[in-house]
Amino acid sequence: MPNWAINAWSRRHTCASPVEPFALIGASRGLRVVSAVNESAAALGLYPGQKATDAAALCPGLVTAEASPEADTAALEALADWCVRFSPSVAPDPPDGLFLDMTGAAHLWGGEVAMTADLRRRLALNGLDARTALADTAGAAWALARHGATPDLIVPPNEHEARLAPLPCAALRLPARAAGQIERLGLRRIGQLTDLPRAPLARRFGAETLVRLDQALGRSPEALTFRRPPTPWFARRALAEPVSAPDDLARITGDIARDLCQRLEAEGQGGQRFQLGFHRVDGQSRQVEVGLSRAARDPDRLTRLFLPRLDQVDPGFGVEIVTLGAWGVEPLAGKQVGLDSLLQPGRESRLDPLVDRLINRLGAGRVWKARAVESHVPERASAPGPALQACEAGTPAWDPELPRPLRLFHRPEPLESVLALTPDDPPRQFQWRNRLHRVRLAEGPERIGAEWWRSPIEAVRNDQIRDYYRVEDEAGLRLWVFRSGLYDPETPARWWVHGVFA
Amino acid sequence: MVAYRAGKLADLRARVAGLEGSGRQGGRGLPFGDARIDGAFPQGGLPLGQWHEFTGEGMEGETCAAPAALASLMAAPLMASAEGGGEAVWILRRGDLFGPGLAGLGFPVDRLIQVCARNGAEVLAVAEDALTTAGVAVVLAEVEGLDLVAGRRLQLACEKHGATGFMIHRRPHGRSAGAGQKTGGSAAATRWRIAQAASEAGPGGLGLGPPRWRAHLERCRGGRTGAWLLEARNAYTCEDTHGAHALRLVAELGDQRLVPAAHLRLAG
Repeated sequence: MPNWAINAWSRRHTCASPVEPFALIGASRGLRVVSAVNESAAALGLYPGQKATDAAALCPGLVTAEASPEADTAALEALADWCVRFSPSVAPDPPDGLFLDMTGAAHLWGGEVAMTADLRRRLALNGLDARTALADTAGAAWALARHGATPDLIVPPNEHEARLAPLPCAALRLPARAAGQIERLGLRRIGQLTDLPRAPLARRFGAETLVRLDQALGRSPEALTFRRPPTPWFARRALAEPVSAPDDLARITGDIARDLCQRLEAEGQGGQRFQLGFHRVDGQSRQVEVGLSRAARDPDRLTRLFLPRLDQVDPGFGVEIVTLGAWGVEPLAGKQVGLDSLLQPGRESRLDPLVDRLINRLGAGRVWKARAVESHVPERASAPGPALQACEAGTPAWDPELPRPLRLFHRPEPLESVLALTPDDPPRQFQWRNRLHRVRLAEGPERIGAEWWRSPIEAVRNDQIRDYYRVEDEAGLRLWVFRSGLYDPETPARWWVHGVFA
Repeated sequence: MVAYRAGKLADLRARVAGLEGSGRQGGRGLPFGDARIDGAFPQGGLPLGQWHEFTGEGMEGETCAAPAALASLMAAPLMASAEGGGEAVWILRRGDLFGPGLAGLGFPVDRLIQVCARNGAEVLAVAEDALTTAGVAVVLAEVEGLDLVAGRRLQLACEKHGATGFMIHRRPHGRSAGAGQKTGGSAAATRWRIAQAASEAGPGGLGLGPPRWRAHLERCRGGRTGAWLLEARNAYTCEDTHGAHALRLVAELGDQRLVPAAHLRLAG
């Protein structure tokens, strides 16, 4: 999109429609510099990179505004979300481009030509000038969109090399230094570069030049950062009339869930995360995501998880396209539904819906199963694990003969006015939570040191050692108290309570 | 005439029981294995398919270790019982329940799903949801207070699949005793008040013996109240007790100095 910054600015300030010369001004290395110009300003000889004062002198009637690259990037990402209607894999290419992976998606629009026409028409309706190119590789598409002869190129398969040859070397996304050097050496076209021997080329212009050249020609793969991982599990429903009523949204959710789940069932797969996208008439989209603790493909269950969240979806002036994608898709053995399974379902399948409901309602961090961890530091010995996974054999287990408190405080609480015979005796009496406790029975000490192998050897100190005692006061309250650090006659010992026994 | 009246009364009693008692004839009970406790319950043991209320005394209202321990020990046999048992769901407000401690008491922690709710209403909503889910045998929830409506809803949820609920009253940290201690009125099957009791010294007078609690059965629908001194039979050991209930009634010849005789007398 050659005029992305200007277009994005006009979309942000809809009331102002500059027809007169207009430029965006940004700061670059302490200088006020023109960062983008509109057509009439370009016709007057202004160009991006010009000093703002020079531009004002050249064209006294110039209207300027502050450039905001962050807002442009955010707008580009919003546009990437919008483009999901064309393909599930869209990669924003800052500052002003988008990559759409159209593999296997064009036939939905009746071919590549119709699809690009639709894309260009919709972009133009939204006031965006765009140049599009469709080619075998992302690099070739990038080059042809920016330097191609026409603004809507569709390159037939395997012809990109011939189409690239007459383009300037700047179309290769080269680092600035290499590009300048190539220019100085009189290499004007990509075709001249490809004719040169590769080894001297790499030595002279750097390895990245070669990588970029190979990427454009399809000799080496290029990893695009898609806005979301591409998934082939994608269902789409276009609506003849935009809808906004909550009941309609709920019905379409059920319909599209059935579409996708039928495909999943036919292939014996199940999904773990589902994202429902509502594409509105005004070009914005709203996403709702649910996660399942175990891969599943039951459309009713999926719909039930989505329904409570639909009230967060603002349909605006109406929703015209609904998409549903599944992620974390894995094989799911076919299960018999009905008859005996209704009477005696397996334990897992009975608990799945409950755990999913809880996780989607409270958040994933709030539902867990405690897992044993091989660590003798009490606060590390138990870690939250997934709520629906049976422990495998061979995992560590807690030693039942080591008494541990039922309630373990996140932070140990200090004990006051402790009477204890140091170095080895448990406390005789102490104050905790404003109450005096006289110890009747005590057990210990159990010395627990820090796990020195986790940190560099310099960080190991003696004061991380704790001596734990199990004490019971006269009322029967059983506490887990400890003295921190080694015994030192000079400093008073510090005592803490770390937990309450049952 | 007498026989006629007795027959009529029995008929009426059965109808009343059918109306109020979970729709199941007689209801199921989980015996403690000691006639002195089991006799207090009409079902001959802890009523199942209903919910029970636990409160702590004094500081226990805040730390809530003893009521939680007793509730979990009463719940543990349900998870391992016949018909495949089921999972347990424990709904917390603070994530301070410590797995190793629970495992040390003999509770199967690997079958416990823990849920941390954000407020009191959410605790009750999650508890109701879990109780109505097939496959969940036990729901333990730490609640601040319960009103009659919440209690009735819990009872209906318990009846759906016969799950048993344990509502443990817990005061939020720093709140004074007595505040927010609303009990669930008549909807609960039983109401217990639990206090920690001094344990017997370990072998050779060293260390602590198995944990003990004073359990007051304050309310029991269709049964009697009572007060007992209970001990965890297999706390912190690997020994197998061969199916005996995890709670053992301590003989009345206990330490008379620590346990006043009045508390040990079987009430009713």
